[in-house]
Amino acid sequence: MTTTTPRTPLDTPVTRRSFVAWSAAAGGAAAAVGTGARLGLLPLTPARAATGGDGPRQVWSACMVNCGSRCPVLLTVEDGQITRVDSDPTGGDDLELPQIRACVRGRAIRQRVHNPDRLKHPMRRVGPRGSGEFERISWDEAFDAVAEALRSTIDRYGNEAVYLNYGTGVLGATVACSWPPAATGVARLMNLLGGYLNHYSDYSTAQITTAYPFHYGEWVSGNSFDDLVNSQLVVLFGNNPHETRMSGGGELFVTTRAKQASQVRTIVIDPRQSETAVTLADEWVPIRPNTDAALVAGLAHVMISEDLQDQAFLDRYCVGFDEDHLPDGAAPGSSYRSYVLGRGPDGTPKTPDWAAAITGVPAGTITRLAREIAGAKPCSINQGWGPQRHSNGENSARAVFTLAAMIGQIGVPGGGTGGREAAYSMATAAFPTLKNPVSTEVSVFNWTDAIYRHDEMTALSDGVRGADRLTAPIRFIWQYAGNALVNQHADINRTAEILSEPDDLTIVVIDHQMTVSARYADILLPDASTPEQVDLAQQGSAGALGYLVLADRAIEPMWECRPVYDILTGVAERMGVADEFTEGRSQEDWVREVLAETRKLTPAVPDFETFRRQGIYKEMSPDGPVVPLADFRADPEANPLSTPSGKIEIYSAALQEIADTWELPEGDRVTALPEYVESREGPEDPLRERYPLQLIGHHYKSRTHSTYGNVPWLQEAHPQEMWINPADAADRDVRSGDTVDVVNDRGRVRIVARVTPRIAPGVVSIPQGAWFAPDADGVDLGGSVNTLTSLHPSPLAKGNAQHTNLVEVTRT
Amino acid sequence: MPVGELPLVLFTLLTQMSVGSFVALGAVHVLARRRYPAATVDRLSDPALYAIGPVMVAALAVSLLHLGNPVNLLNVLNNLGSSWLSREILLGCAFTALGAAFALCQWRRWLTPGVRQAVAAVTAVVGLVFVWASAQVYLIPTVPAWDTWTTPVAFLATTFLLGCLAVGAAFVVAASVRTRRAAAQGARPEAEAEVDAMLRSSLRGIGLTAIAVLAVELLVLPAWLLGLANDGSPAATAAAAALTAGGWLHLRLVLAVLGGGVLALFLYRAAAAGGRRLLLVTAGSAFVLVLVAETVGRVQFFESYARIGI
Amino acid sequence: MAQQLGFWIDQQYCTGCKACQVACKDKHDLPLGVTWRRVVEYSGGSWSTDPAAGTFAPNVFTYYTSISCNHCDDPICVAVCPTTAMHKGADGIVSVDPAKCVGCRFCEWACPYSAPQFDPTAGVMTKCDLCADELAEGRDPACVAACPSRVLHYGEIADLRAEHGDRADVAPLPDPSITRPNLVITPHRHAEPTDAGTGTITNPEEI
Ligand SMILES: Nc1nc2c(c(=O)[nH]1)N[C@H]1C(S)=C(S)[C@@H](COP(=O)(O)OP(=O)(O)OC[C@H]3O[C@@H](n4cnc5c(=O)[nH]c(N)nc54)[C@H](O)[C@@H]3O)O[C@H]1N2
Ligand SMILES: Nc1nc2c(c(=O)[nH]1)N[C@H]1C(S)=C(S)[C@@H](COP(=O)(O)OP(=O)(O)OC[C@H]3O[C@@H](n4cnc5c(=O)[nH]c(N)nc54)[C@H](O)[C@@H]3O)O[C@H]1N2
Ligand code: SF4
Ligand code: SF4
Ligand code: SF4
Ligand code: SF4
Ligand code: SF4
Ligand SMILES: [Mo]
Repeated sequence: MTTTTPRTPLDTPVTRRSFVAWSAAAGGAAAAVGTGARLGLLPLTPARAATGGDGPRQVWSACMVNCGSRCPVLLTVEDGQITRVDSDPTGGDDLELPQIRACVRGRAIRQRVHNPDRLKHPMRRVGPRGSGEFERISWDEAFDAVAEALRSTIDRYGNEAVYLNYGTGVLGATVACSWPPAATGVARLMNLLGGYLNHYSDYSTAQITTAYPFHYGEWVSGNSFDDLVNSQLVVLFGNNPHETRMSGGGELFVTTRAKQASQVRTIVIDPRQSETAVTLADEWVPIRPNTDAALVAGLAHVMISEDLQDQAFLDRYCVGFDEDHLPDGAAPGSSYRSYVLGRGPDGTPKTPDWAAAITGVPAGTITRLAREIAGAKPCSINQGWGPQRHSNGENSARAVFTLAAMIGQIGVPGGGTGGREAAYSMATAAFPTLKNPVSTEVSVFNWTDAIYRHDEMTALSDGVRGADRLTAPIRFIWQYAGNALVNQHADINRTAEILSEPDDLTIVVIDHQMTVSARYADILLPDASTPEQVDLAQQGSAGALGYLVLADRAIEPMWECRPVYDILTGVAERMGVADEFTEGRSQEDWVREVLAETRKLTPAVPDFETFRRQGIYKEMSPDGPVVPLADFRADPEANPLSTPSGKIEIYSAALQEIADTWELPEGDRVTALPEYVESREGPEDPLRERYPLQLIGHHYKSRTHSTYGNVPWLQEAHPQEMWINPADAADRDVRSGDTVDVVNDRGRVRIVARVTPRIAPGVVSIPQGAWFAPDADGVDLGGSVNTLTSLHPSPLAKGNAQHTNLVEVTRT
Repeated sequence: MPVGELPLVLFTLLTQMSVGSFVALGAVHVLARRRYPAATVDRLSDPALYAIGPVMVAALAVSLLHLGNPVNLLNVLNNLGSSWLSREILLGCAFTALGAAFALCQWRRWLTPGVRQAVAAVTAVVGLVFVWASAQVYLIPTVPAWDTWTTPVAFLATTFLLGCLAVGAAFVVAASVRTRRAAAQGARPEAEAEVDAMLRSSLRGIGLTAIAVLAVELLVLPAWLLGLANDGSPAATAAAAALTAGGWLHLRLVLAVLGGGVLALFLYRAAAAGGRRLLLVTAGSAFVLVLVAETVGRVQFFESYARIGI
Repeated sequence: MAQQLGFWIDQQYCTGCKACQVACKDKHDLPLGVTWRRVVEYSGGSWSTDPAAGTFAPNVFTYYTSISCNHCDDPICVAVCPTTAMHKGADGIVSVDPAKCVGCRFCEWACPYSAPQFDPTAGVMTKCDLCADELAEGRDPACVAACPSRVLHYGEIADLRAEHGDRADVAPLPDPSITRPNLVITPHRHAEPTDAGTGTITNPEEI
């Protein structure tokens, strides 16, 4: 995103009352008033009085978790305790500089901060790893222990043995930022010590991230959601912003307002009737998980048979749709058209009937959808990341891109690229973390392999990047603000086994709660939570809105907790790099520094003191909705993509090369076209005889992953329950509220069943992120779906296929 | 079983049994006085009369267990204007007070028998109105299983059935105790014969009354269930499901028919010539069976609570 | 007497997120099990499957309704309350006076919106008081101020009705003639009428 001139700086704390006055004075939108005013009701909401002295104070902070949104929260503090949470009182109820209302989780932040699970003191493991047996130690002992282990690991194995595991618990922060690893304070420290083994891509988007360069040259989002008003039709493949972008200033709010304004017809394709399907969809098309590429092929068959595709677009902007547009060296019959019509190697026409049998979507529906999608101009094709978090997710992602190309609605208002929505983002500076001298990377997901079989891991076998192979096993893991060490990684039982093995492995967990991963730490360091430190909160995805929050220290760090920056400073001292690490600055000094840099990029951002009072800075995109690839669309020769051909590669020669050279496990396939590939634990797997149900794990409003998972108000509001279709429930004599066992060869989860017509037959979903809690027999009573997921990575991305699982459900 | 409502189960059952007993005693009095001297009648009925007061007080005390905050107890009469609960409590207290006054007069033989009878009559009427008010408490328009004519009818049926069988049981117990004591003290045999005769004729009447009330109950129950079935609302359906689940309904019916039907009939027959011991066993078990049946029925009544709406 | 206040819920875009519920709990420090604002999920319909073709097609609907207390014109809770602890104030707000309440729970039995919520620790009934303290200071009720989707509003009921119609007869809500709630619902496109609802409340334990 480019730097922009803000249209509407807010340089004083704006109450709703003064905001109205202000916008009226500015001749601004009369519509930009609050509910009350629009209804001609009571006065607009002023912020609650913050009295001085020992009485209650109000302090701006933010919810920093990884939900794709970001919300400021206004905390009332009394006697060192957060006693109430308000959301942003500034701005109004329309898309222009709206109030950014925190979601249900942010509203409950005080039960996360003041939680019995909080870590209070540094601790050292005394029992077996994972036993949760620790002894309390002093900070000095903790720093010595970490430094000692770091030194001996580096001496023995080199820096490649030190791994920064995925952790997105405070991804929204700047100094305390926890993701991407390279942007964290941990990276800054390690870079001063010779570097660390990095990972590429992320648990969110491993498959689509890896697929993008082959198709579009790089990551290309879809049009931003404020652009929906320009569409005639919106098709969402497994995108659920009303549960995964829940901020009342973020995409939930943007899509709601867009739908209200335009009533644009919306189709949601999802195995579940998601919240988005409830609120936005005119039609819900349930689909078997992992089969989106088959649906697209079926749609393509109808379009090609009836000549509905935008052939001119395909001819000009794409390679590989037709035989005429295949790159040199591609075998005849390897175009998408040939694949669809059955003229390729498999000889199977991808008729609606063929697609129906795979996807579960009736052939008549496929035909109707194809005509409707091809006929609506402009039409926005958009995918969330559920469809790609699968064993064949790379191809699902590319298939949806291909559908967008077939209707030629890329780079135009109201259209879309088939990717997830873009959003405006204001220009901000970052905390400098220096450069990593180690170039080797593993995928975000196969780090567990690097603990016990690093010597087998090469570029061709396991997708090692930056080097041909791994030269050292992982022997030191930093896990800062992440639960991916165990709970968010796959196959928890196997993961625990892998972690328990090496004696010379050191796991340092920096968290603020006794999480599942924290139980596996060797050294456990208690971090201060966000309201216990000062930082800049980066904005979330919010349509055309850009913003920045100064999240102040509302309460003192509790018990012996210390902010991560101070923790890392302590380690840096022991390692002899304290001066280089801190450059003589405290955390607040860094915040001031980054803010000063940010003001160079976005001068309207207030200075530190003003910002501290004001809390939030907002601006609107000066350019209206984001329409990616508009320049490519306008002039593809002048603005080529960074693919080898400069065009959209529906057939990718680079992928064909990978297909020819990589050593893939039995059953895994990489294809040059976005074909539907029958895959491990997909709907055709013979394993279904034993485990007949496809299990996914949707992202749930109760938590952000595992964060907020131990908050009583949220557990009460949104209990952890497994969705199952009434027909599947009846077959198993299961009724709503019954406790069931969900089983496969990897584990067993005991959970309450929610019998609901909102999920397709043959599919069950356990909302991901609940805390693994095994009983004495190893049965997970916590309802963590990762007890059942597989460590087998997807073929190309080596990514987490956590939505691809087969299970059986039985009544207990 | 909703243990939470147990206080209300006990409160309604015990108060209804008390009112029923009082009314039954009154009826016996009126009828018996035509044939037997007052002393004879009093001899048999006074012990039963004195038992009612403590039962009523116990019932009122148990009802306190239902309250989350008995500290504010005195406020419960605040809303006589619209709350049937306030009215029920007022009437319950009035019945208890009048009953106590009457029992005291009876014991002390204060006032003339005529005045005492008038007091008794007023007490009985207040008691019946109290039972009726109790039922009104449950005629909540949002609770289909309660908001029906069958609720007051069922409450009154319980009142009469439990009342008469309780009196019957009390009579045989009182008579046996008396006879044993009389034999020991060598009392006047004619008087004992009178007591015996009165006992037997009372038991015959009680047997018949029980059968008649049971018949009413047997008509009301299906009418209630049918009403729920025809209602069709989720709440009514849930109530019907709660009522028919787990065989409790059957248990209740079997016990009621055994106690209030078979045994009552047997009592009616045996009262003519059967031995005292047989009467004791029959009247006693008829009462116990019906008491259990009514308890099950009342628990089920509270189980059938399901509100319309959300 | 102040104008009667009420709530307006645009059911079409309610996501069932319960930010309203939790904001209320936060504002009033409510313990677990005492939930002044609750969100009902109502779901129904059926699936048709074609086993030969291996396909399925839904005819399924779902919508949410966020409900606290409707400060009704005919408050049945007030009518049944023996103590007058449950009362309708001059401002039209129905609230509980804990200094009078005996905790008999009859109001809870009667109210078809589950608005009265018993606090077992204090032994008394509690419920939504329309955030009277916030209103007095000119702020919106906590739940209204929280709704991320802006579908929950409050205001003078006459105005709300004038602008948004007069419907509250949407399943699974009860017939509004019973208590005459000060509630206006803009129905979800799949909303069913009170008396002809074919769906079920799918989260009864959450209400
Ligand atoms: N089965 C399945 N598994 C999945 C997914 C799925 O869809 N299905 N999704 C995957 C995805 S997309 C992702 S992004 C990952 C997310 O995985 P993670 O990044 O591990 O996310 P969380 O589980 O939220 O863990 C964040 C941790 O940060 C901690 N934390 C929060 N605040 C603070 C703080 O202030 N300081 C410190 N030190 N710690 C803090 C929390 O306690 C928590 O332990 O999960 C992945 N796992
Ligand atoms: N409340 C909440 N919000 C969150 C998060 C959270 O944990 N909680 N996590 C955040 C993070 S880090 C991320 S990465 C995003 C994740 O965002 P997504 O990856 O988009 O979320 P998911 O719930 O995994 O999947 C979205 C939808 O895809 C559907 N789906 C699953 N498999 C398939 C399939 O094969 N085909 C199709 N068509 N649909 C499918 C699911 O039912 C779901 O409704 O959400 C972010 N937002
Ligand atoms: S979880 Fe996300 S949407 Fe919810 S309050 Fe936090 S940042 Fe906002
Ligand atoms: S919603 Fe219920 S509690 Fe509120 S006023 Fe109406 S009847 Fe009373
Ligand atoms: S619980 Fe309290 S408020 Fe409710 S009816 Fe009883 S006394 Fe009245
Ligand atoms: S108005 Fe106030 S008390 Fe009532 S539900 Fe909303 S937040 Fe709770
Ligand atoms: S906060 Fe708004 S959208 Fe969320 S459940 Fe409540 S009313 Fe519905
Ligand atoms: Mo993610």
